[in-house]
Amino acid sequence: MLDVVEQAPARTPEAAQPPPRRREASVRIALVLCLVLVGLGSVVPIVAVLAKALSPEALPRYADFFTSAVDLGILRNTVVLGLLVGALGTAVGLLFAFVQTRLDVPFKRTLHVIAMIPIVSPPFAVATAAIVLYGRRGVISYGVFGVEYDIYGLDGLVLVLSLSLFPVAYLGLVAMMRALDPAMEEAAMIMGASRLRVLRTLILPLLAPGLVGPFLLLFVEAIADLANPLTLGGDYTVLASRAYLAVIGEYDLTGAAVYSLILLFPALGLYVSQRYWLGRKVRTTVTGKPSGSVHLISSWVRWPVYAVALFIAAVIVSLYGTVVVGAFTEILGVDNSFTLAHLREVVTGPGLSAVIDTAVLAGIATPIAGALGMLIAWLVVRHLRRGSGWLDFAGTLGVAVPGTVLGIGYVLAYRGDRYLGDIPVLPGLVGGGALAGGAAVVVLAYVTRSVPAGLRTGTAALSQLDPHLEEAATNLGASPLRTFRQVTLPLIRSALLTGLSYSFARSMTSVSTIVLLVTPETRIVTSQILGAANTGRYGVAFAYCTVLTVVVLAGFGLIRLLVGRDVPLHRIAESPERPRR
Amino acid sequence: MVQRIHRRVPPLLAAALVAVVAAGCTRAASSADPADDTGKVTVACGATEEWCAAMTAGFTRSTGLKADFVRLSSGEALARLEAGKDDPEFDVWHGGPADGYVAASSRGLLEPYVSPNAATIPAAYKDVAGAWTGVYAGALGFCSNTRILAEKGVAAPKSWRDLLAPALRRNVAMAHPSTSGTAYAALWTQVQLDGGADPAFDYLAQLHSNILQYTKSGAAPGQMVARGEIAVGVVFSHDCVALQQEGIKDLTVTFPSEGTGYEVGGVALIKGAGNPVTAARYVDWALTPESQQIGPTVQAFQRPTNPAAAVSPYAFDDRAVKLIEYDVAAAGAQKSVLTKRFDQQIAQAPKS
Repeated sequence: MLDVVEQAPARTPEAAQPPPRRREASVRIALVLCLVLVGLGSVVPIVAVLAKALSPEALPRYADFFTSAVDLGILRNTVVLGLLVGALGTAVGLLFAFVQTRLDVPFKRTLHVIAMIPIVSPPFAVATAAIVLYGRRGVISYGVFGVEYDIYGLDGLVLVLSLSLFPVAYLGLVAMMRALDPAMEEAAMIMGASRLRVLRTLILPLLAPGLVGPFLLLFVEAIADLANPLTLGGDYTVLASRAYLAVIGEYDLTGAAVYSLILLFPALGLYVSQRYWLGRKVRTTVTGKPSGSVHLISSWVRWPVYAVALFIAAVIVSLYGTVVVGAFTEILGVDNSFTLAHLREVVTGPGLSAVIDTAVLAGIATPIAGALGMLIAWLVVRHLRRGSGWLDFAGTLGVAVPGTVLGIGYVLAYRGDRYLGDIPVLPGLVGGGALAGGAAVVVLAYVTRSVPAGLRTGTAALSQLDPHLEEAATNLGASPLRTFRQVTLPLIRSALLTGLSYSFARSMTSVSTIVLLVTPETRIVTSQILGAANTGRYGVAFAYCTVLTVVVLAGFGLIRLLVGRDVPLHRIAESPERPRR
Repeated sequence: MVQRIHRRVPPLLAAALVAVVAAGCTRAASSADPADDTGKVTVACGATEEWCAAMTAGFTRSTGLKADFVRLSSGEALARLEAGKDDPEFDVWHGGPADGYVAASSRGLLEPYVSPNAATIPAAYKDVAGAWTGVYAGALGFCSNTRILAEKGVAAPKSWRDLLAPALRRNVAMAHPSTSGTAYAALWTQVQLDGGADPAFDYLAQLHSNILQYTKSGAAPGQMVARGEIAVGVVFSHDCVALQQEGIKDLTVTFPSEGTGYEVGGVALIKGAGNPVTAARYVDWALTPESQQIGPTVQAFQRPTNPAAAVSPYAFDDRAVKLIEYDVAAAGAQKSVLTKRFDQQIAQAPKS
């Protein structure tokens, strides 16, 4: 397979040596662990769905699909949405990362916090807020500018999805830009390169894995997202919502499986091309050798760039602000008087136990998902040659299929105890009488859905690390696991932080997979939100979202406390210099 | 050679483990024996969260038997029932439109049961063979925003023809019939009223210019009306009433004079349920006036099917509203043909 280490003979010939012949026991254990969890979490359920998608009764559906203009339109819609969100989201992430690491401007800390907010995007809340603010009768679009703007459709979806997904790109890119060796930038500038030239010929190529990783993740997440196309899609139908509605509206599980299988193809295609393209270049910049200082941009150029970032930040604040204000308002836009009733219902009613249950389950899933993502990334980038692509892909599967489909897969695969002959091999995981009242499978689903984020940021961070650093440790006699713990981990700490935070946020806000897995013993807060939203009780839904956001932010704080902050990899030049011309 | 095999051990081991788990068979439960009944019933509940909670609590209050529920929409419930049919986790399915129950029954997921209490339920609201029995009915109506109507200078629609008014251009919404039972009921209503699919599609083609969008969920048009994004939504009247009760004052409900379609919410026993005795008692109870009067206390304003139950003033009045003959089975049989035709002929057409 296309392994970065393997394919890097041009610059570091020594690194081209294949990894140690004899795999250490720790690597082997890690591998088995990853394979089993990924196997149980995504491969088995997806195979169960595919078995349905490829059953004889389903086969004529493919002919129908590829001859129907309607269905082909849905496929095109899906790809267009994915590409736009991937590109725009990554661009916004890059902009924010650039402002954060290279511009000499005030309030960077505040901007960072604002960029983090969308990681918590409770289902439906942001989409609804977008309709309330920027829709046909939007408070801003109609109220201020008098425009009846029809936000439903592609434009609204791209706006909301880009804004809610870009933080992953941003966090990954900030970490990478901080890790970029400033010596090269310094050298380029000393030789008279302009800032733009440095950006174009040095920073961007070095960041490429960091750009392609988020792009891929955003693409896949955008095409698999369900809540937003349902709320904001209007007549713009995508495969994920089509598959969901085949189950919900037509009771057609086979149809849903067919749509889901087709949905896997764009994700798969992009994935393969990314590996092919990235696999051939060297990107290592964290070498452990002494380096120069970062020179912050202090010319006038910073102001227009900063202004764009501020504008985007203002839109984010307006959307999330609406959710919070909505939680304390009778009916936003209709009766704007202040009330605590919605919040009281959440905190004192049946909502509280749902919030606590969800937080506990997500809290269990988060460290597992974070560790698993990093472990797979480490195995894929450092230790595996053959099959690394497959492991990487299997790890990404959890997010590539729509949640509903994964949920159906879990139901198909894990309902009832499994026996081999007379020996029980696996207790039933789903439904009444299942292991831990069905909580185990919820945790498994959370883990499966959140591993990809940690995996992608981890892979990006690791492919920037020079393998020499780890080789040095290994040569001194450290085991691979110890090397990982003491050398690699501290250097990719911010990627781990991103992975963990994202896992927690994702688990807390996951809807579609979980809906099919809830039992009387496990109440999940997102299904309460949907229930409230479906009956038009927006105030309560907003209140749930606000409480959810507070819980997630508290979780972030805790994770940060436990993982620690990143090690500064370089210093910033004391007096920012102008580029020398 | 040995070494190569050696290196492949971990993946093989893991694959084998996963394969064993996947290949292991599930066992059909030996339950469905009345003697094993635990006196506790687990309900797959298709109504709102609050309504489900109030129902199960009411059952416990009046019978002393325990009840748990999981809220699932019809499609979710069906998917879960089908996947677990060898060892059902639910005993009863309660709430949600009858077409879901018809589909479940045709897949052999329901246990026919004619409750002694079903005798009082009108024939239009139950299955002859007892596969399911109706617990509530909801009628299709027009949910309008009076403020927007005044802006456009039109009165609240009183007939299906009124929806074609040029002043309502891009100011009407209904759900997409292939994704929403509500919208399919509206489509089937046209087929019944116009006496065939062709005239029904002529009407829908004319209506198309006035439609802003075909929403995904059946209740969404009501919410768009509530926010003032559009003037009129085609929804079940109780969804609109629930929004009014939430405090949105500008809403008004009207019904088409030609006649309108309706849904029936069902209750049914699950085949092979672990607690068949308690489950039957739950079904009996769900048909009582006491149970059917719970809805309005939790903002569910459907009409009870038991004639003895007190009717909320907010439920539709079955004497004032003209209902069409609605044959759930016939409507279900033509669904895929009609929705496909809708998709190709109507939804894609440019709006004039």
